[in-house]
Amino acid sequence: MAKFTRRSFLQATGLTAAGLASPIGMPSIIRSAHAADTVKLGCLFSSSGTMANLEGRLNYVVKMAAEELNAKGGVNGKMVDVLVSDPASDWPLYAQTAKQMLQQEKVSALFGCWTSVSRKTVLPVVEQEGGLLYYPLHFEGDENSKNVVYANSPPASSVLPAVDYLMGEEGVSAKRFFMIGSDYVWPRTINKQLKGYWKSKGIPETAWKEEYVPFGFSNFQTLVNQIRAFADQGGGQPIVVLTVVGNSIPDFMREFANQGILATDIPVLGLDMVEADLEGLDTTKLVGHLNCWAYLQKAKGPANEAFLKNWAAYVKKNNVPFSGTTSIDPMVSAYDSVHLWAMAAQKAGSFDVPAVRSAFPGLSFDCPSGYKIAMTAENNYVSRGVFIGSVNESQGFDILWQSDGTPKPVPFSPFG
Amino acid sequence: MAGALLTAPVIAAPIDRAALVGQLCGNATAMGEASTTLTNLAASGPEDERQWAAPLARGLIDRSLICDPSGAVLKTDAVTLDAVTRELRAAGDGGRSPVLSLKNRATFELADAALALRTSPSVQARANALRTLERRAATLPEGLLEAAAKTETDPNLQAQIDTIAQTAMLGSPDLAKRINAVGRIADTPSRRNLSLVQGLASDPAYTADPKFRTAVDSAAARIERGIMIGDVLAALYNGLSFASILFMAAIGLAVIFGLMGVINLAQGELIMIGAYVTWMVQEGLRYALPGLLDWYLIIAIPAAFIVTAAIGIALEASLLRHLYKRPLMSLLATWAVSLFLMNLVRVTFGTQNLQFETPFYVTGGVPVIGDFIFTWNRMFAIAFAVATLLITWVVVRRTPLGLNIRAVTQNRDMAACIGIPTRRVDMMAFGLGSGLAGLAGLALSPIYSINPQMGQGFIIDSFMVVVLGGVGTIAGTVVAALGIGQINVLIEPLWGAVAAKVIVLLMIIAFLQWRPEGLFAVKGRRK
Repeated sequence: MAKFTRRSFLQATGLTAAGLASPIGMPSIIRSAHAADTVKLGCLFSSSGTMANLEGRLNYVVKMAAEELNAKGGVNGKMVDVLVSDPASDWPLYAQTAKQMLQQEKVSALFGCWTSVSRKTVLPVVEQEGGLLYYPLHFEGDENSKNVVYANSPPASSVLPAVDYLMGEEGVSAKRFFMIGSDYVWPRTINKQLKGYWKSKGIPETAWKEEYVPFGFSNFQTLVNQIRAFADQGGGQPIVVLTVVGNSIPDFMREFANQGILATDIPVLGLDMVEADLEGLDTTKLVGHLNCWAYLQKAKGPANEAFLKNWAAYVKKNNVPFSGTTSIDPMVSAYDSVHLWAMAAQKAGSFDVPAVRSAFPGLSFDCPSGYKIAMTAENNYVSRGVFIGSVNESQGFDILWQSDGTPKPVPFSPFG
Repeated sequence: MAGALLTAPVIAAPIDRAALVGQLCGNATAMGEASTTLTNLAASGPEDERQWAAPLARGLIDRSLICDPSGAVLKTDAVTLDAVTRELRAAGDGGRSPVLSLKNRATFELADAALALRTSPSVQARANALRTLERRAATLPEGLLEAAAKTETDPNLQAQIDTIAQTAMLGSPDLAKRINAVGRIADTPSRRNLSLVQGLASDPAYTADPKFRTAVDSAAARIERGIMIGDVLAALYNGLSFASILFMAAIGLAVIFGLMGVINLAQGELIMIGAYVTWMVQEGLRYALPGLLDWYLIIAIPAAFIVTAAIGIALEASLLRHLYKRPLMSLLATWAVSLFLMNLVRVTFGTQNLQFETPFYVTGGVPVIGDFIFTWNRMFAIAFAVATLLITWVVVRRTPLGLNIRAVTQNRDMAACIGIPTRRVDMMAFGLGSGLAGLAGLALSPIYSINPQMGQGFIIDSFMVVVLGGVGTIAGTVVAALGIGQINVLIEPLWGAVAAKVIVLLMIIAFLQWRPEGLFAVKGRRK
């Protein structure tokens, strides 16, 4: 290789970097072959990149919910048609796809985003275009757009009850907190609110520690060492509040177990941890670690039984490349979102966003979680139940605690 | 909770078995009370009661206790037994295994360990139980260790029990025993013990008795020294383990990049495929030879190497061969190959993380000194990296192929002139580099999550190592990996993982300004 010089190497790497940063061309939108008299819904979930394993399955849930609507004769006499795209876990591409779906495809509503950073990029687009985005993840709150329906819980009705549980007698009377998160808006805001919350309870600042890692980080050796050192300083029961995302979750849990720390020594509250994150892990050493969501697969009630049965059947029938026996909160939230949208459109008798929006107050739906979820005139939040799950030996979560009713969602946290 | 356990009365009368089982199936409070009863049984209950109670605590933890309308049953491999009478009985309708709250999980782990220590016939099980009890030495019921020491037959365990018992004497009214306990605690230096010993400075005896004070002070000093040694070892070990990962990811690239100047962006995907081959070998063994399943990581070595090497050779022969004169094109072509391979794997296997068995030699860790824990999966990666280094070195330095590779690397035209088939050497070298990437995938499977996207994370890191080390030198790759690994690990606790990444990159840029050829430049007229 005589002609290979430093300069050409730099040119080449520069070109690659540019190529990696700006995807070439527009993402292609896959349409199903429905005839003229349809109403379109758009999905913004990645089926490639770091979020693929989690987000990918939500595309199918939205389709399944649309099938259910169509089986009952559609919405306002029109069949529901779901458009799927692939923003490739690339945050700016979510905005681009959303714009394309709203402008060219004239979708009536968008269902999408997992990470808060992707939602934040889509937000200006839906506001400008007057679209409607249903967001199925629990998140950091502090946002209240009339163009977004927050179908999952803000921290006041997800994270704080779970932290309260751990700090209480029934939990482990936690006194000290090690926060570790991926470095972006969701973990940082959640941790800011948690710190405000602890301050309001008179807990001194020395009782917590905060660490962040880059996206996709997997070498947790040193951090787990730090957690052990933090725990051994004494001063009460420590817990870890884990807000890393994607593959960092299993990698962290593996290192945690390998260093011999049990849930009874230092419990981990994994705010974004779902069954899919435990795939590929030996969970016998992780039993007892916690998560908190508005739905867990083991939720009791006929609505959940029906949902699990339908999902398994849908996976089998359509050869969906995801597990038919795993059901996670964002799936259920996306499913709820489609039905909430359909109810609003039916009530309004129209697909126009302002009309649909004005139909929100008073909507309620029997969520698979077993709670009756509802919307009010106050904001676009949905009130959901709260579950705290505990990792079991078969890579799932047992329900450790669940709320009596659905707490009223508080969009803006008073703690931070 | 601790107080309740310590002051619990000695159980004399036989306990109400049905009521205890009822409590186990009750609410969290009742379960908590049941765990206290079980722990006290272990300490001072009669032999038959302990034998009866042991499976209950175990059953609650491993979920083999099923509560049903008529009490509870214990599920064993073949049969189900009634939890109270231990007679054969099938589980009734609506059976459920109770979920332990975190608080109760801790108390049941204690009860289970206490009962196992007193009743288990296996020395190994008793040793494990003792380790659990040691972690919670402060909450042990009185008399448990004394009773266990009396009946213990294994001299090793006897000595361990004795040590823990002496440690537990820290709160004793007898000052000599306390001093002895302080000394015992200092034998295992850890931050937890340091806080414990330092806490004694506010004890009245500390100011009153100079002997106690010296004991505490020297213990604290000893523990601090132990912790310091532990921290240094931990930093070295963490650095070494990160370096081993970097090295494994980069060594294949060093061969390819060094020899042909091809920027192989598909290197990460070859790592990923190596991991997938390992998984397939595991599944094959599970099907054909389940007895050897634990050794799949070793058995998969040739498969992982050969498959990825074959892919590399095919890639070279079909695609890159035509692009040697155009580095930019070869870069884009390998990028395309990387996307192709990634999506091929995604379509074939799905996007989920692969499920790997974790054989005993990559599970858990051993506490060494201070807060240093020697984790086996990292050790596996380090040992694997060392072995790979040695083999690569032998291949490059001691075989005809290696001689050819070195000749072509140093001066392609001259090598061709003296009759070395440079095209063939290219192909073999590309195969070698790809095969090494496959081995990296194998070594990483006990550490990282294996999925189609995993390769992308390695490409930047491995280029960093190769460029810093000096293109095409094995020694450079080793030193660069060690340096980057160690610096990362040292910076992380100070400024966090995000800053560590930034600082390391800045350091590399600065270094390359000063030495553009990297650490170990190949001497001679290269270009």
